[in-house]
Amino acid sequence: MTVLARSSSVALGRLPRPGTVLAGGFVALVVLAAVAPGLLTSDTPTQIDLTNALAPPSWEHPFGTDEAGRDLLTRVIHGTGLSLGIGLGATGVSMALAIVLGAAAALAGGVVDTLITRLLEVTFAFPSLLAALLIVAVFGPSVTTSIVAVGVGSMPGYARMVRGQVLAVKESGYIEAAHALGHRPWRVFRQHLLPNAMRPLVAVVTLGVGQSIVWASSLAFLGLGVPPPSPEWGALLDAGRGYITTSWWLAIMPGLVIVLFAVAVTSLGRTLQQRLEGAAR
Amino acid sequence: MSTAAPAPAARLRRIAGKLLSAVLVLLVAASITFFVQLLLPGDRATVILNIRNGRDQQWPAEEIAAINHQFGFDRPLIVQYLDYLAGLLRGDLGTSYTEFRPVTAVIGAQLLPTVVLTVGALVVAWLIAVTVTLLTVRRGRILGGIGAAFEAFTASLPHYWVGMLLLVAFAVQIPIFPVIGGDTPAGTVLPVLTLAVPLSGFLGQVLREEFHKVLDQPFITTARTRGMSDAAVRLRHALRHAVLPGITLSGWALGALVSGSVIAESIYGRPGIGQVLVTAVNNRDVPTVAGIVLVVAAVYIVANVLVDLAYTLVDPRLRIS
Amino acid sequence: MTRPRPFRRAGVAGLGLALAGSVLAACAGGPSAGSGTRIEGGTLTYAHVQEPPCIFGGWIQQAYISRQVLDNLVTLDTDGSIKPWLATSWEVSPDGLTYTFTLKEGVKFTDGTPLDAEAVAFNFDQWMTTQLNGTAKVSLDPYYRAAEVIDPTHVAIRLNAPYPQFLTLITQGYFGIQSPTALRTRSQAENCEKPIGSGAFVVEEWRKGQEVVFKKNPNYTSWPATAKHEGPAYIDELRWKFVPDPLSRYASLTTGQSDVVYEIPTVHWKDAQEKFETTIRYITPGKPISFYINTAAGVFTDKLVRQAFAHGADRKGAVEAGFHGVIPYEGNPAMSRSTPDYNADLADAYPFDQAKANALLDQAGWTGPRTPEGIRTKDGRPLTVRIIYGAGSFITAEGATVLQALQEQWKQVGFGVELIPLTRAELNSGRFSDPTTYDAWPSYWTSPSPAILWIVWRPTTPEKPNGNNRSFYNNPELARIIDEANTSTDPERASQLYRQAQQIISDNAAGIGLYTQNTLVAAANRVKDFWLEHSQGEPVFSDVYLVQ
Repeated sequence: MTVLARSSSVALGRLPRPGTVLAGGFVALVVLAAVAPGLLTSDTPTQIDLTNALAPPSWEHPFGTDEAGRDLLTRVIHGTGLSLGIGLGATGVSMALAIVLGAAAALAGGVVDTLITRLLEVTFAFPSLLAALLIVAVFGPSVTTSIVAVGVGSMPGYARMVRGQVLAVKESGYIEAAHALGHRPWRVFRQHLLPNAMRPLVAVVTLGVGQSIVWASSLAFLGLGVPPPSPEWGALLDAGRGYITTSWWLAIMPGLVIVLFAVAVTSLGRTLQQRLEGAAR
Repeated sequence: MSTAAPAPAARLRRIAGKLLSAVLVLLVAASITFFVQLLLPGDRATVILNIRNGRDQQWPAEEIAAINHQFGFDRPLIVQYLDYLAGLLRGDLGTSYTEFRPVTAVIGAQLLPTVVLTVGALVVAWLIAVTVTLLTVRRGRILGGIGAAFEAFTASLPHYWVGMLLLVAFAVQIPIFPVIGGDTPAGTVLPVLTLAVPLSGFLGQVLREEFHKVLDQPFITTARTRGMSDAAVRLRHALRHAVLPGITLSGWALGALVSGSVIAESIYGRPGIGQVLVTAVNNRDVPTVAGIVLVVAAVYIVANVLVDLAYTLVDPRLRIS
Repeated sequence: MTRPRPFRRAGVAGLGLALAGSVLAACAGGPSAGSGTRIEGGTLTYAHVQEPPCIFGGWIQQAYISRQVLDNLVTLDTDGSIKPWLATSWEVSPDGLTYTFTLKEGVKFTDGTPLDAEAVAFNFDQWMTTQLNGTAKVSLDPYYRAAEVIDPTHVAIRLNAPYPQFLTLITQGYFGIQSPTALRTRSQAENCEKPIGSGAFVVEEWRKGQEVVFKKNPNYTSWPATAKHEGPAYIDELRWKFVPDPLSRYASLTTGQSDVVYEIPTVHWKDAQEKFETTIRYITPGKPISFYINTAAGVFTDKLVRQAFAHGADRKGAVEAGFHGVIPYEGNPAMSRSTPDYNADLADAYPFDQAKANALLDQAGWTGPRTPEGIRTKDGRPLTVRIIYGAGSFITAEGATVLQALQEQWKQVGFGVELIPLTRAELNSGRFSDPTTYDAWPSYWTSPSPAILWIVWRPTTPEKPNGNNRSFYNNPELARIIDEANTSTDPERASQLYRQAQQIISDNAAGIGLYTQNTLVAAANRVKDFWLEHSQGEPVFSDVYLVQ
């Protein structure tokens, strides 16, 4: 309990509490939109009304309407699931790859470690854009390719962190103790090593979700994102960019949603990180 | 990092080892790129014919055969690879399939604008991050909160949204900067900011965290008790320690900036590696793509050597002997 | 050096009204435009979209740019007539098999090589035998036989069969004449970057990813008969910039950083017309942006389903709304309205009629229980249609909006339409050439001649596959009619046959119309006498002069 009290005071000092509440609220809203968009809007995201195209924000259409007369807010709400899915999926993909590579390197040591470390160096030196370009070139733009492209692109950083964490935990005494107690290696890895190594990375993962969504929207700009008429946030932003000087809401509203969500997730991640660090101290 | 100073011979050996591994990384990166592209579905002769004629179709076998023969695609893959590798060792990156020029020429002209853009963005990002951090960290809850919020906000900005907003604001509505500035100095400002603003958020977050840690250190308290002013403490002691993780991040950031540069280039009609890379991947221009990877990897490696150097310069503990 | 030239339009009579016909132009003519004082020389900045890998080649982007440095034998006037360019006159043999061109005397390429019959023959050989320009080749195959030098100023082109469209086809930029010395002695890279022609400009420098800088050719002697003035270009320098982003491109014009801008986004078209004296909407001849309908595999093997698809959505309404009323709907799937021998009866083929669409689908047996999404089924198979399209350069953002609007309406009659944008890499890979990969594909093909029907609709045979027949529609009767039209020496008869061919394509719904491909350009008010040539809308800068 004292640990908790202490860490929250740390968080208090660094990030204003109302901010955290606000961030939490926004993330909750986004998750709700992702899970049950029907609760927030009764319209369908593909309902076209060409006679009411490019209407500015109003009570009826708080975010305005797009070039096909679709209600932008409805589209943003219905796009949440996809965007969140891409964010979580991409982070999942990169963490999975990172754990395999990072843990293997740290645990095996020797040649394997050298090889994987070199490989990571190579992938670090690889522009992540190239990975995305190649993946989309093969499989075509879709939700899945966005997830894989973003996930693979951000893998090397995570892998390096995992390796470092696993090494640190491995060298700490109690893993050796577990071994000495005769636990099987797999059990040691699963029950002791991985959880301890991953704990400091939880916050990093949270940050990764927000960044993945931002990254995915960049793919949309390059024509490599989720195809229309999907209301994925990056696709909405990309579709609106041609209208920025004539119908500003089309580019501003989805952009703001992306940024606000990323900010909210980031500040939650930071708070979490500080708490975890506080707990570790 | 070890603090013990290695003996000169050992140090030399270490440097040689590092160089060798750098060259290996380069070769592996180029080779992977080379093979991945060859193994992708679809064939190069079709792409070449489609590019030449603005088409998107299959071609009769005899036309494909002629192109395959002309470019040597009918040789076994391993021969093509060894041929490419032999070229690399001579410093020949091959010839572009679509432009017929040596890849070194294709990349050469585009390298400088990209280096200016990415390094410029890195420098500006540092300036913004350091300024914001110095001004707001540990300055009370409100100011600190504003600083942290600013960083979280900028770090969450998609590059092209920034690019688009800057363009509309400072090139269209208030025409201070050119819309299509190419690689002129005035035309470089907005592209640099496009990449720098989001990066500054990342750097700022790391800086702020380190600052917090450093300001809690005993030697800061000692300095203060010796009567050192707050500004001096921040600049002379805290900053030096707080920038270390940021420097590491910078090495990584250069790689990410290359990816981001294509967005700035495309919005502002600016030449650069990013655009060449996108076109080359689309055109299945194998030697050009592999060449760009090689160059970017080389820049990345050099950058990380510089990061190591910067580290030793900044951190006195690493310089003791 | 640059003598002051009389401020009078020389050249062929009647050209004052240059951009008529398919071109709606608001050209700055006469004093009403408030034109200022004229400047000698100067630099003009042009903002284009796509950057090709080489200046010359078989891609329309290359035709646009290579026209600045290369001249053709003949050119196309706005009324569809052929006018002299490098050839001052030509004669067609009575059997229609030989075209003998008389070349303008004393014309030299910018490397000093004389532009003579040998040079012309060499270029024809290049197009037809090398693989550097497949579009020139596909335009003349299989009618072309050989080029023959008669004397330095006379060259004969011999054909296998009469082909009256020959002259019209060679007015396109793909048929620009290059210096044979340069082609023979210089590297491929040099010829790619700086082709040598006899044109009004020479390539000074290509700053890749940014711009091509052209300098005027002070010794220019070979302007086309359609030119607005005689003599070298007025401007000293042309900076041809590549600005892929539409927002930046149009903004570069409104902020005065560029003088002429290509592909104005339709949303800004009204604004451009208000701000600039010269705005040109050129409707590209050839195949409009219409759907190729896959007749070889999938749901569209049944003609009734194709027709139901055509009736099922308000294509006209969607086009008009989606393009802000700027780009016209085109109901004729085979040819756009600006192409000679256009069959106007098809302009409104398959009007929006969902009752009819439903009836056709019922008749075709798509009466199984609908899927939860409301998609019709037959024998348990859903009525799914995959529409693939080249995103960006082929189908613009506005075009994609139109497709999305149609998608919603098709759903109302029970079509489950899937929109699949293709990236540049996917298009280049050519892997969507297989009938199993799509059901419909909206795309266009620029050509000033109804012979486009032959290029697109010629059947695929095992020995001679036709990769351009994207509907996989092998109709021997259609092929016979087009071939007969191509080789008929009676223009009346040919025209009738071409119209009949379009009718067959439309009646069988092997293609479904959508909208015309357009060139939308605007020029700053200081730019005078900018025009688009008539064969495919290549911008012409050799007559441009600037005012203060």
